[in-house]
Amino acid sequence: MLAFISRRMAAAVAMLLVIGTIIFSLLIIVPGDPAELLLSTGGGSASAEAIANLRVNMGLDKPVLTQYVTFLYNTARLDFGTSIVDNGSISSVIALRLPRTLEIIIAGTIFALLLAIPAGTAAGLRAGGKFDIAASAINALLTSIPGFVLGTLFIFFFAQVLGWLPAGGYVAFAANPMQHLQMLVLPALTVGLHLATIVFRMTRASVLEMRGHDWVRTAVAKGLRRKRVVRRHILYNALGPIITVVGLQLGILLGSTVLVEFIYNWPGLSGLLVSAVEQRDYPTVRAVILTVAAIFIGINLVIDILSSLLDPRIRLQ
Amino acid sequence: MTPSDCLSPTRRGVLISLGAGIVAMTLPHGTLAQTPPSVLKFGLSTFPPTIKPFDNTGGAANTVKLMLYRGLMGYDASGKLVTELAESFSWTDPTTVVFKLRPNAVFHDGSPVTSADVAFSLNEITKNGSTAFLKSDLKIISSVEAVDDKTVKITLKAPSAIFLDLLASYCCPVISKKSTDGETIGAGPFTLKGSEKNVYIEVARFKDFYMADQPRVEGIRFVAYADENLRYAALEAGDVDLIEYLPWTQFDTVEASKTLKMKATLGPFMFLLFNVTSGPFANPKVRQAVGYAIERQDVVDAAFAGRGEPLFGFPNPRGSKFDLADPAHEWKYDVEKAKALLAEAGYANGFECRLLATATYGMHQDTASVVQAYLGAIGINATLDLPDWGTRVTAGKEGKYDIAVHGTSGNYNDPDALWSLLYSGNPSYLQSFGFKSARIDGLLEQGRNEVDPDKRKAIYQQLVVAYYEEVPQVPLNWRIQAYAMKQSVEGFEQLPGFLSGSSGYALDETKFA
Repeated sequence: MLAFISRRMAAAVAMLLVIGTIIFSLLIIVPGDPAELLLSTGGGSASAEAIANLRVNMGLDKPVLTQYVTFLYNTARLDFGTSIVDNGSISSVIALRLPRTLEIIIAGTIFALLLAIPAGTAAGLRAGGKFDIAASAINALLTSIPGFVLGTLFIFFFAQVLGWLPAGGYVAFAANPMQHLQMLVLPALTVGLHLATIVFRMTRASVLEMRGHDWVRTAVAKGLRRKRVVRRHILYNALGPIITVVGLQLGILLGSTVLVEFIYNWPGLSGLLVSAVEQRDYPTVRAVILTVAAIFIGINLVIDILSSLLDPRIRLQ
Repeated sequence: MTPSDCLSPTRRGVLISLGAGIVAMTLPHGTLAQTPPSVLKFGLSTFPPTIKPFDNTGGAANTVKLMLYRGLMGYDASGKLVTELAESFSWTDPTTVVFKLRPNAVFHDGSPVTSADVAFSLNEITKNGSTAFLKSDLKIISSVEAVDDKTVKITLKAPSAIFLDLLASYCCPVISKKSTDGETIGAGPFTLKGSEKNVYIEVARFKDFYMADQPRVEGIRFVAYADENLRYAALEAGDVDLIEYLPWTQFDTVEASKTLKMKATLGPFMFLLFNVTSGPFANPKVRQAVGYAIERQDVVDAAFAGRGEPLFGFPNPRGSKFDLADPAHEWKYDVEKAKALLAEAGYANGFECRLLATATYGMHQDTASVVQAYLGAIGINATLDLPDWGTRVTAGKEGKYDIAVHGTSGNYNDPDALWSLLYSGNPSYLQSFGFKSARIDGLLEQGRNEVDPDKRKAIYQQLVVAYYEEVPQVPLNWRIQAYAMKQSVEGFEQLPGFLSGSSGYALDETKFA
C-alpha cells in the first residue's frame, strides 16, 4: 500500500513539475512586457528609461534560465513570492481568494441540488406528464442561455429594476453578514442554475431508469408507503450517477467561474487570474494555475487511494 | 399505488426549495445601506495597479493618488492652475522660481511640509533608477535650493512654459522625506484607511489638510468595476454614488433620469498611427490619403454613440490658451482627393495592410471597423488584428503593424501636451513606428522653451502646418468622457479637456446634498 501511495505521489509531483514548466514557458512566449504595460495603463506611456528601470525592479532583466531555476526552487519551498506589479505576497492573496471562489461554487451547488434533485425526481416519476414537459422545457431554455447572459439579466432585473439586491461587489462576512449573503445570492444563483440543468437531466434519466426495475414494482406490490418507495428504492439507487456528475462539475467549476466572478465583481481566484494575465504578472499567473492544478491532482490522488482501499486490485494495476 | 403516485413529498421539496430561494432574494436591499452617507462610494473603471506617487499607472490610480498626495501646484474645478501646498510663487528670472510653502501644510504623520521635503521629492523623480512618469520632463531642473524651511528656489536649465503644469501633475506630489519604499507619507486631503487588491481602497478625511473646510465628506470608498455595464448598474442600483467612464450607450438614460446626473467633457481623442519604416505608409502622401478617406462622424456615431466630435487636424486641447484653428491644414472627408493622393504615391490600385487595434477596449475595436470600411473604399484592404491590450502595446512598440488605432489624452491643456505623442526623442507605442521629424521636434522644443505667449502661438501655428504635411498621425475624433452620479452628489466637476484625468482635484469640494 505504501509503495502504491508513493508511486502515485511521485506521479503527482512530476505532473505538477510538467505543468509548472509549461506555464513558465508559455508566459515567456506570450507577447507583452509587464513593465511597459504597468506604466501604460490607461493609454499613456512612460519614458524608455523609466520602463527599463522598472524591468530591473521586477527582476525581468535576469536570464530566463535563472528565472526558471528560481521559480522551481521557490515553488518547491511552497513560496510563490510576490507580485511583480504591487510587491504583495501571492500566497496571502490566494489564501484570501480561494475560499471566495469555493463559496460561490458550494452555495451554487447547494442551490442546484435543492432545486434539481426534487424537480428531476418529480419529472422522472411522471415522465411525459405536464410537470415533466414544463420542467424539461425550462431546463432546455436555461441550458441554452450562457452564464454571462443570465447574469446580466439577473443584474438588470433584481438590482436595476426591482432594487432587491446589489448589482455586484463583495463585503466580507465578518464585516457585514447580511450584506455578504445578499451579494452572494446572484453569483450563486447563476452558477447554481447552470449546474441545476445538468443535475436535473441526470436525475430525471436516472429515476426514469430505476422506477422500471423489478424491485420497485415489488416494493409497490408489497404495499410499502409511497415516500419509502421513492426514497429507499428509487432515489437511493439513482444517486450514484448524480454524485459522479456533481463531483466532476465541481472540479470544472473551480476553473470556470471566471465570467460569473467578472460579471458580479466577485473577487475570487478566477478574477485574480484574469487580472494577472492582463497585467502579465507572471508570478501570480503561475501561482494561481499551480494552485488549481494542485487541487485537481490532489483530489485525484485521494480518489485513487480511496479506490485502492475499496478495491485492492487497483493497487496491482 | 404506482411509482408515479409517489410525488407528494417531492413536490413539497420543490416548493420548499423555491420558497427558500425567493425569501433569500427578497431580503430588503435597504439593509445594504449601512455605510454612513458621509462616505462617498466611487465606482472606478479598474483597480489601481499601484499608487506609487510618481508613477503613472492609469486614470483610476491617478484619482486615488490625488486623494493621498498633493504637490506644489494643482488645478481648480474649472481647470485653472492654482497653488496647492505652495502658498505663492514668483519668477525672479525666466529660469528661477521661488515658492513659499503654506505655513499650515502638514503631512499625514503631522510633520510640516518643508522645503527639504520638496527637494527630496523632486530628487526622487529625477534620480538614477527612477521609474517616475515625469523623469525626462523634470530633467530641466538644474537645482533645488531650500532657502529656509518654507521657501524653496528651483532653478531651470532653460526657460519652460509648462513647468508649473508639470508641478501640478498627479505624478509630481510632495512627499515626506521620511517616506520609505513600503510607506509613502503624503499631504493630501485623505489618508489611506484600508484596501484589498482588486476590490476596494478606502480613504478617510485628513483633518489637518491645509484647507480647513475641505474635503467635505468623511471618506471615500473606491470600488473597482472593470465591466462598464456593471459599473453603471451599480450606480443605478444605489451601490455607489459616483462612477467614472460612464458608458457612451448610457448617456441618454442618465440625461433622462430624475435620480442621476452627469458631468461630461471633450477630453481624449482617437487617432491612427503608421509604421513608416517601409511599405506604402512610409510615403506621407499615403498617410494624407488616409486622412482624407475617413468620414469621422461615422466613427463618432459607431464607436461613441454620437458622443464626440470629428477632429480634422492638429489636436489642440479644449481649454488651450491658443486658438490654432487652421482649416487650410485639415483633412476633411474627400474620397476623390484621397484616391488622387494614392495614385500620386504610386498606389492607384490600392494595397493590402494590417490594421492593429485591441479587442480589450470596445471603442478601439469599433473605431478600427469603421476605419477598415473607409480604407476599403479607396482600395486599401486592411486586415484587422485585434489582440489583447498587452499584446497590442508590444506590437505597437515593435512595429508589428502597418496602421494602428489608438486613443489617449494629454496631461494639461496646452499644445505641449502632445509632446509624448510627437517628439521622436522618446519613441513608444503611442507614436508612429519609425517616425522622426527634426522639424516637428524642433518646433516642440521651441514651444516648450518660449515663455512669451504670442511667440508660442506663432510656433504652434507652424506645428499645425508641419503636423498636416508630415502626418505623424491621422486624428479621428474627440470623445466625450463623463462621470455619472446621484443627484444628491454636489460639488463635483469634471475638469475640462486633457485635464479630465485630473478631476480627482474636484473631489475636495464634493459633498452630499
